[in-house]
Amino acid sequence: MMQDSSADAVADPSRLAILANRLESIARQMAHTLHRTGRSGLINTARDLSCCILTARHELLSEAESLPSHVLVGPDIMSEWLQRWHPNPRPGDAFLHNSPYHGNSHAADHAIMVPVIDDAGVHRFTVFAKAHQADIGNSRPTSYFSAARDVYEEGALIFPGVQVQRDYRDIDDIVRMCRLRIRVPDQWWGDYQALIGAARIGERLLLALGNEIGWDALEQHAADWFDYSERRMRAALRKLPSGRTTASSVHDPFPGTPTEGVPINVTVEVDGDAGRIEVDLRDNPDCLPNGMNVSEANASAAVMIGIFSSIGETVPRNAGSYRCIAIRLRENCCVGGARHPASCSLSTTNLASKIGNATQCAIAGLAEGFGLAEAGTIVPASMAVISGRDPRYDNRPFINSLFLMHTGGAGAPSADAWLTTVHIGDLGLCYLDSVELDELRYPLRVVRRGIETDSEGAGRFCGAPAGICEYGPTGDPMEAWFASDGTVNAPLGVRGGLEGGRSAQFKRNRDGSLTPVEPCGGVVLHPGETLVARCCGGGGYGDPLDREPERVTEDVKEFRISAERAGAVYGVVLDPNGEVDEKATIALRRRLRPVS
Amino acid sequence: MAESGSNGSASRHGQRVRIACDVGGTFTDLVVSGQNGFQLFKSESTPADPLIGIVAALELAARAHGASVASFLAHVETVAHATTRGTNALLTGGAAKTAFLTTEGHRDILLLREGGRLNPYDNTQSFPPPYVPRALTFEVPERMGASGEIVRRLDEEELDGIIDRLAEREVEAVAVCLLWSVVNPAHEIRVGERLAAKLKGIPFTLSHRLNPIVREYRRASAAAIDASLKPLMSGYLANLDAHLRALGFAGRLFVVTSQGGFIEASAAAEAPIHMVNSGPSVAPVAGRHVARLDTSGADAIVADTGGTSYDLSLVRNGRLPWTSETWLGGRFTGHMTGFPSVDVRSIGAGGGSIAWVDEGGLLHVGPKSAGAEPGPACYGRGGASSTVTDCALALGYLDPDSFLGGRMRLNAAAARRCIEMEIARPLRLSIEDAALAVIDVLTQNMVSAIEEITVQQGIDPAAAVLVAGGGAAGFNSVHIARRLGCPATLFPQTGAALSAAGALLSDLVFVAGRVQYARSDVPDISTIQAALAALSAQIAKFTANAGPQAVEIDYWVEARYPQQTWEIEVPLAGCDLRSSADLARIVGDFHDMHQKLYAVCDRASPIEMIAWRARASCRAPEVAPRGLAGRRSHPAGGRRRIYLGGEGWTMVPLHPFPSVAPGTTIAGPAIIESSVTTIVVPPRSRAIRLGSGTLKVEPVGAASS
Repeated sequence: MMQDSSADAVADPSRLAILANRLESIARQMAHTLHRTGRSGLINTARDLSCCILTARHELLSEAESLPSHVLVGPDIMSEWLQRWHPNPRPGDAFLHNSPYHGNSHAADHAIMVPVIDDAGVHRFTVFAKAHQADIGNSRPTSYFSAARDVYEEGALIFPGVQVQRDYRDIDDIVRMCRLRIRVPDQWWGDYQALIGAARIGERLLLALGNEIGWDALEQHAADWFDYSERRMRAALRKLPSGRTTASSVHDPFPGTPTEGVPINVTVEVDGDAGRIEVDLRDNPDCLPNGMNVSEANASAAVMIGIFSSIGETVPRNAGSYRCIAIRLRENCCVGGARHPASCSLSTTNLASKIGNATQCAIAGLAEGFGLAEAGTIVPASMAVISGRDPRYDNRPFINSLFLMHTGGAGAPSADAWLTTVHIGDLGLCYLDSVELDELRYPLRVVRRGIETDSEGAGRFCGAPAGICEYGPTGDPMEAWFASDGTVNAPLGVRGGLEGGRSAQFKRNRDGSLTPVEPCGGVVLHPGETLVARCCGGGGYGDPLDREPERVTEDVKEFRISAERAGAVYGVVLDPNGEVDEKATIALRRRLRPVS
Repeated sequence: MAESGSNGSASRHGQRVRIACDVGGTFTDLVVSGQNGFQLFKSESTPADPLIGIVAALELAARAHGASVASFLAHVETVAHATTRGTNALLTGGAAKTAFLTTEGHRDILLLREGGRLNPYDNTQSFPPPYVPRALTFEVPERMGASGEIVRRLDEEELDGIIDRLAEREVEAVAVCLLWSVVNPAHEIRVGERLAAKLKGIPFTLSHRLNPIVREYRRASAAAIDASLKPLMSGYLANLDAHLRALGFAGRLFVVTSQGGFIEASAAAEAPIHMVNSGPSVAPVAGRHVARLDTSGADAIVADTGGTSYDLSLVRNGRLPWTSETWLGGRFTGHMTGFPSVDVRSIGAGGGSIAWVDEGGLLHVGPKSAGAEPGPACYGRGGASSTVTDCALALGYLDPDSFLGGRMRLNAAAARRCIEMEIARPLRLSIEDAALAVIDVLTQNMVSAIEEITVQQGIDPAAAVLVAGGGAAGFNSVHIARRLGCPATLFPQTGAALSAAGALLSDLVFVAGRVQYARSDVPDISTIQAALAALSAQIAKFTANAGPQAVEIDYWVEARYPQQTWEIEVPLAGCDLRSSADLARIVGDFHDMHQKLYAVCDRASPIEMIAWRARASCRAPEVAPRGLAGRRSHPAGGRRRIYLGGEGWTMVPLHPFPSVAPGTTIAGPAIIESSVTTIVVPPRSRAIRLGSGTLKVEPVGAASS
C-alpha cells in the first residue's frame, strides 16, 4: 500500500463525501423517474436506461444505477458536440441526441440533454438521460439491424443534438416527424416524455443544490472530486504489476464479416509504478459493411468497463479517475473508429462485448486476483425484438425488445458470477422480464425459462450457466429479430478457467421437431411454433480443480452440475450421501492435474 | 431500566392498561399505556428465546407498579407485539424446510428473481441463492393462460407423485405459485386440496390467496417466505399467548404488521409474512402522533437511530408512506416480500457504525457496524474499530460512568486510542476533530438518505419536522435538521422506544382492494361503481365487527398512463363515483400528481385505472395527556465538557431530561440526558419542553452548521 496516501488526504473529507452523495442522489432520482414513467418494456421493465451529470466542461461527474456502456464514455463527447452546435443554451432548452458519430452509442439509444443554467445565465452543468428505444424507424422492425450495409439501409432517424424543447415546451416539428417515422408512435411519445421528465427532475434538483451551496462551491467540489478519484485510481493501478499483454476475442461470423468471424485484439499496458494504464484497439479491422461497427463512445466505454471490473468496486468512475487511462483508437477502425455512413446498429452489443471481454481477460493475464473471465455475448433470441399485431386489442401493433433471459455473468477472482448479467455493457443492472407481464402485454406465451445444467464456465469461481427459454405467439404471426453471438465462439475462461455455455437458437415446429435458425436476422413465428432460445453463460476464473469441493457438492445438490461433471471437470468425487469423498477427490484431482 | 412519563402507578385497581412490546436485536422495549400516559421499560433481548426478554421486561414493569407480574397482567387489556429484527433472526436460523411448487417449465422463478444489481463493479459478491433451493422445487404439469384459459389441464396423478416426494423429503412447509393463478386459481386451489389431503399437518401457502398480484416472482417469493415462517411463527405466537395467559394475562394479543397496524395473533399465524419488519413499520405511527400532537399537522420525517441501522420514513398529510417493493435482506441480494408495506428505508448508520479512511484519504462511516459484540472500542469487549459511539464519547457527549443509566462503564481511553490510529492520523487531524468529522459524515449519510426519499415523494424538508427517535438520535439529529432546513427537531419522550410506542398508537387496520380495469376515454362508470360498492361493503363488514372506536377510511385508485407498468396512487374523495365529472376530477388529479412527481404529464392522454383500494383504520384509543407534576426529584444537573466544532472544548450545562419542566427553554449549547438517550443541543439552537413531554429543538438566528 502507498505510504503517502495520507499526504493526499482531502481538505474537507466530510464535505467532499456529502456533495458526492448529493450529486449521485440526483442522478438516482432521474433514473427512478425514467424507470417508473417509461412506456416500453425496455424502460419500465428491463431498465435499459441511464442518467448522469456532466460539468459544463463536458466531464462525467456523477451517475447512478446507469448502464456502464451508456455512461462511462459518451455523454462527455456528446456534451462537447452539443456546445459546438448550440454554444448559447438557454433555460428551458432540451436536446435530443442519438448520433453514434458524435459520441452516442447506437442510434436506438435516445438521449435527452438539458443544460443547467444558473440565475445569472451561466451554463454550469448538463443533465443527461438516455434510454434504449423499442423502435427508431429502422428499415426492419429491430433496433439491432446487423445486416445493414450502412446507416441508410439501417434507416435509423439520426438526431445530432437536435433541439426538442424551448422555454420548457416541446418543439412540435420534431415530435410530428417522429410520430410519422417510428413504429407504435404513442409508445415512443411516452418514452420521450419519460426522458424529458427525468432530465427536468435532474435540472430542478441541481438548480436547488447550486443555489443552496453556491455554484462556485459546487464547481470546486467537482474539481476536488476529480482529484480524489484520480488518487483512488492510481492507488488501485499501483497494485497491478507492470506489463504489457494482448488478448483476443473472436466474434462469430455474421453477414458482412469474414467467414472466420471477427477477431478483436486488445493490448493492455500497465505502468504500475506510475499508476497508469493504456489500452490499444488499433490493431483491428476497418469498418465492416454491416451494422456491427462500434462507435468511439462504445469502444471507449467497453475498455473502461473491462478496467473498472478488473480493479474493484469502490474507485469512482469519472473524469478524474480517467486521467490514469489512455485509450488508443484508429479512424475507420470497426472498433472505435466508426465514421458516417458506416452502420453502428449493434454498436453497444456485439463487438463492444469483445472489447470489454478482451480487456478484462488481458488484465487477468497480468496477475492472479485481477481481471475477469469473459462475460456472455449477445443479442440472443431470448432478447429478441418482437413485433406484430395483437388480436386481443383490435390488432393494434406492438414492438419491444424482450429481456426474457440473460445469464452472462463472468467468473471472478473471489466469487462466482452474477447470474442475471446481460453482458459487459450492463454488468447485471438490467432487469429480467416477468413472464406474466410479457404475456399480458404481448400476444405470446413463454413455455419455459431456466438455467441449463452443466453449462457453467467451470473454474475455481464459476461463470454463469447458459439460460434457456422458449416462447411463441398465441395469436397472429410474430416477428423476432436478434443478433446472437456466442453460437460458435463461447465465452472464454481465464487463468485455467473453462468456457461458458454457447448460445443457440431453434424454431420448434408444430410437430415438435426443431429447426436451427440463423443466429443473426429475423424469423417469423406462426401460431403453434415457438422459438427455442439459449443465451450464453460466462467463462470461469481459475482452475476448476482448485474449486472448493464443498462448492462443487452444492452445485450438484442444486442440479447446477451433474455428478459426472463434478468428477470429470472438477475432480470431485461424491459419496453415496452426496457429500465430498475427500480421499477419492484428492486422488482424482492429482490424476487430472497436468504433470508439470 | 425505566423511563417514565407518567406519575406513579398506572395499574391501580380497576384501571385498564395496554402494553406494546418490541423485540429488537439488542433490546426488548416494553411500553405501558395507562391513564397517566406511557412508561418505557427496556430489557436485553435474548435471540434464542425472545420470551425471556419479554418476561424480563414485564417483571420490570410490574415492579415499577409495585405489583406481581400476575396482578399487573390481570389489568392488561391488550398486548401488541412487534419484532424489529426478530423475524430476520428467525429467517436466518429458524425458517422451515420449505418446498416450492410451480408451473412446469418455470422452476427458476425464485432463482432468477427480476434481475437487477446494486454494485455492478463489485465482483466479490456471488449471485444470491434462491429462497427455496432448486432441489426442493417441483414442477407441476399444468398451465393457465393470461386470460385465465386452461392451456394445459392439471395432471393430478403427477401432482400426487410430487406430493409423495415432498413427504419423502420431509419438508415442513410448502409454497405454491402457478402462473396466472391470479386470473384463474382453479389449479392452485386443487393443489392446495391435494396437499391438505395428503400432507396432514404440513402448512402451505397458495400464492393467489396470500398475495393476488401479477408478476410471478413477487407472488412466488411472498408465498415461499410466508410458508417457511408458518411452522415457527405459529408455534411462537401460540407459545407467547399461552405463556402470557399462564402469567395471568386475560386480554387480547395482537401482532404488529409490516403495514403499520396490528392484527389478531391468530390471523398473523395464518400469514406470518405480515410480521416481517413489523417493528420499524410502527415507528412512523409514533412519529405521526408526535407531529399531530406537537405541531399543527406538519409533515414529519421520522427517523429511528439504532445501533446498526437508521430507519426512515415520511409522514405526509398525516398519512403513512407506502412502498410496493419490500425486501427481506438487501435490495437485489435479498428476497422480495411482494407486499406493500410501510415505506421504511434503512441505511447502515447508527451508534455502532464503524468509521474508516480509504486509500484516497476519504472518510467513510458504515455501513459496517460493530454490533453488540464486540461492540464499539469503548465497550472494552475487544472492539478495535472506531464507531460513532466512540466518537460521541471522545467528544464528551457521553459520560463514561452514566451510559445506559450507569449499567455499562465505557472506556474513554480505548475509544481515543482507536480514533487516533484509525482516523486522526491518516487524516492529520486531532482526535477531537477526527471524531467531529465522523459525526459530520454520519450526518451527511443520514441527510442523503432523507433527501432521497423526500425528493422522491416531493416533500420540502423546510416545511417538515424531524422526529428523532432511537437511543443514538441525540448526537446529531439537530444537525441533520439544520442541514435539511427543517424548522424543528422533535425528541419524543418515548423516542428511545419509538416502535413500541408506535404499536400502542397503531390502528386496527383493514385493507381491501378490487382489481377493476377502466380507461378514462371509454369509461364504464357502472363497473367502477360496482367495484367501489363491493369495496365499501367489505369495509362496512369490517367496521361493523370492529367495535366502537372511531373509524377512518381512505380510498384510492392506482392509475397510470397506457403502457406504463408502474401505477401511482390517486386519493379518492370517497367511495362514491356518480358522474363523468367525478371521473374527470380523478383524471385531473392524476395528471397533477404525475407532473409533481415526475416533472411531466400528458394531459391529452387517457389514463388507465387498475385497482381500487380502501384502508379502514379503527383508531387506537386516545392517549391521555401525561401528567408530569409531583414527580420524584431527579439528580441535579451539572455541567459537562464537550467538544464543539469551531469552538473547541466547552463547558455546557447538563439537564436530566425527566426534570425539564414543560415550558422550560434551554439555550444551546447544552446536554439533555436520560437513562436511555443523550441529546446534544448545539450552539445557535434552543430546546423547549412541550406539554406532551416532547423536547423540541429549533434553530436560533441564522441557521448554519
